[in-house]
Amino acid sequence: MSLSLKICRFDPEVDREPYFQEFRVEIAGHQTVLDVLLEAWRQDPGLSFRRSCRSAICGSCAVTINGTPRLACQTLIREIAGNNGRITIQPLAYFRQLKDLVVDLEPLFDSLKAVVPWLITRWDHDGCMDPGVSRRMESLASCILCGVCDAAFYNPGGTKPAAFVKGLRLAQDPRDVLNAARLRLMQVPPEILKLFVKKMPKVCPKKVKIPEI
Amino acid sequence: MLIHEVLVVGGGLAGLMAALTATEKSDVAVLSKIYPTRSHSGAAQGGFNAVLGEDDSIAAHIFDTVKGSDYLGDQDAIEVLCSEGPELIRELERMGVLWSRNPEGGLAQRSLGGAGFPRACFAADVSGHVVLHTLFEKVLERGVKIYPEWHLLELLVEEGQIAGALVYDLARAKLEIIRCKVVILATGGYGRAFAKTTNAYANTGDGMAIAYRAGALLSDMEFVQFHPTTLFGTNILISEAARGEGGYLRNKDGDRFMARYAPQKMELAPRDLVSRAIFKEIREGRGIEDKYVHLDLTHLGEELLQQRLPQVKDLAARYAGIDAAWTPIPIEPAQHYSMGGIRTDIWGMTNIPGLLAAGEAANVSVHGANRLGGNSLLETVVFGRRAGQTAAKLVGKEHWPSLSQTAVSRYLEPWNFLLAGRVQGKQDDCPFKIRQEATLLMTRQVGVFRDGAELEDAVKRLAEMKERYRRLTPPSGEQPYNYGLIHYLELGYLLDLCELIAKGALRRTESRGAHFRLDYPGRDDRNWLCHTISRWGEKGPEFSDGPVSVTLYIPQERGY
Repeated sequence: MSLSLKICRFDPEVDREPYFQEFRVEIAGHQTVLDVLLEAWRQDPGLSFRRSCRSAICGSCAVTINGTPRLACQTLIREIAGNNGRITIQPLAYFRQLKDLVVDLEPLFDSLKAVVPWLITRWDHDGCMDPGVSRRMESLASCILCGVCDAAFYNPGGTKPAAFVKGLRLAQDPRDVLNAARLRLMQVPPEILKLFVKKMPKVCPKKVKIPEI
Repeated sequence: MLIHEVLVVGGGLAGLMAALTATEKSDVAVLSKIYPTRSHSGAAQGGFNAVLGEDDSIAAHIFDTVKGSDYLGDQDAIEVLCSEGPELIRELERMGVLWSRNPEGGLAQRSLGGAGFPRACFAADVSGHVVLHTLFEKVLERGVKIYPEWHLLELLVEEGQIAGALVYDLARAKLEIIRCKVVILATGGYGRAFAKTTNAYANTGDGMAIAYRAGALLSDMEFVQFHPTTLFGTNILISEAARGEGGYLRNKDGDRFMARYAPQKMELAPRDLVSRAIFKEIREGRGIEDKYVHLDLTHLGEELLQQRLPQVKDLAARYAGIDAAWTPIPIEPAQHYSMGGIRTDIWGMTNIPGLLAAGEAANVSVHGANRLGGNSLLETVVFGRRAGQTAAKLVGKEHWPSLSQTAVSRYLEPWNFLLAGRVQGKQDDCPFKIRQEATLLMTRQVGVFRDGAELEDAVKRLAEMKERYRRLTPPSGEQPYNYGLIHYLELGYLLDLCELIAKGALRRTESRGAHFRLDYPGRDDRNWLCHTISRWGEKGPEFSDGPVSVTLYIPQERGY
């Protein structure tokens, strides 16, 4: 099928502000938005966007597709082409645009520091863990740090959702010295927490579920 | 100019493990073409082999690996791999890796191909992802300096020794010199040399090609693993864990055809055997639509799929539109792993003083002619740690190598010229075209089945493509995030490596492991129980034979 693609372009050294460029691409319905972007890139090698694994595990290709933050490699054309065969692709919201679809990821990785994002192993940990306890953390551990949730709910000044997921995963880990004390450390107000619990599985490409705490 | 004692290039498992180890005793930085958590290690699904159970033994793991390698693996290196595995798995557990557990709370283990025992520790079917993120957490804890989205362009070798690296910062579009005493290359494999591959777009073998150009020896480049089960069409990986958990391979008649190729191991025979069996079925008219076979998980039940293979279930649903609990998955073999790489000893050292390598970028060689599932993740941490230890030791011992201003200018000059300007050059030919032709050629003529005439033709056509590449106008470099430029550079690396793979395959007139010659279908230990060593030369690569370390196991016929 023939698709009309609107891609947000911006080169800080040349452009005063972002603008849209139109591309026409031929593509099959089972292909992904990443395939479309790669086709547009062949037409204009100056187009910048991140990608790597193309199987939704590396988290590189998070962009805004028709207004919603998603992974380009995980979004099938047939899921979204109902929009009159038109697709609009913009950088992730609330991130600084550096060039075209490439955004500044430093705030995402910096935000992790607020939750002490590593295990502080208890001295008496014996290497064993109840399989049920371990399984309960699996969903949180499947976060790929793609930034989609940070672009979906804006939490100015507070703990960012991706960092919260990391903190929560460690707070549930029986091997960790801080363990539940991490919840107090993160200080997420109840109304924000409610929002995370309700919305996270809907926006997260890995369907991370935040357990009720 | 930036200065670090140790520069690790590559932020995957081997690179991060090396950095974490070296940072105990030296100043380390990690330079990576993508953010470390984006590394392709994260896509590894199946698990890490390590002997933990009392019924299993290190000797059995060593033997399985030697046999799996079709006796080309170096047995001294394999002994290191298998002996240091258990300790490292436990160390990763203490670091915070969320291993899947058995009912007693110990680490669960599953069967992967070519193993005599369920020996792979795993985290559901996202094993690489979980370990990569844990090591990244530790790197944050230790405050290791990271240069994300920086590209290595050239190794600076002065008086025969590493003196630093010439690198390119993609965000600022600037060249930089990093002075260092030691460089550890952990840059992964060359999967993207093939049109059909499970590998990420980033896997273009940069480190291997750059090391080769700097005079490092590469070895066994013709040994390329083709994974039996990748989604038909997109070649997205469907983990061997799917067969480890009991999945069947079926042809169009519904037969479990592996019974004819590996009656004992069946679906869990090593990958080279299974990939050949699948293509044979398809060639002989027993494929479905003459193109693929089925991976059948329908008898495993929804609950097991959800618990043990959630990613497999998701990938099949999204990219093939299939519910694997009810419908068999269409699969075909595709390039998956680079057995060959930068030749190192068991401490990660190459032939260039100060240059180390680990992980898929290296050839130590633990995989020989064919890698077993679960051994590459293990290799990354075992030899990543060893490279880190070696680096720390070298830093304490060695003086700073001299690097004069004249030398720096000499290194910078050609790159300054190459990267000048902001305008994309217009040209008749283009990197996209050459890359598509080269990678299709590799899949068709340097793939699972090879023969002399096709290889000769491939070598000739690759030489023509290299010539076309030389005539291209390089894209401008003074633009931030110029992926067109990166694509151009990667194509140059890939063409160098394709030449080594194709020439190595043509030269080796036998069949061993993943290298199968239709015109020489037998293994020939008398002439070819040796590594293929390649070195850069003025008139093209120079090949020679290198000895294989045989300590305990004399080559035997390899039946499964």
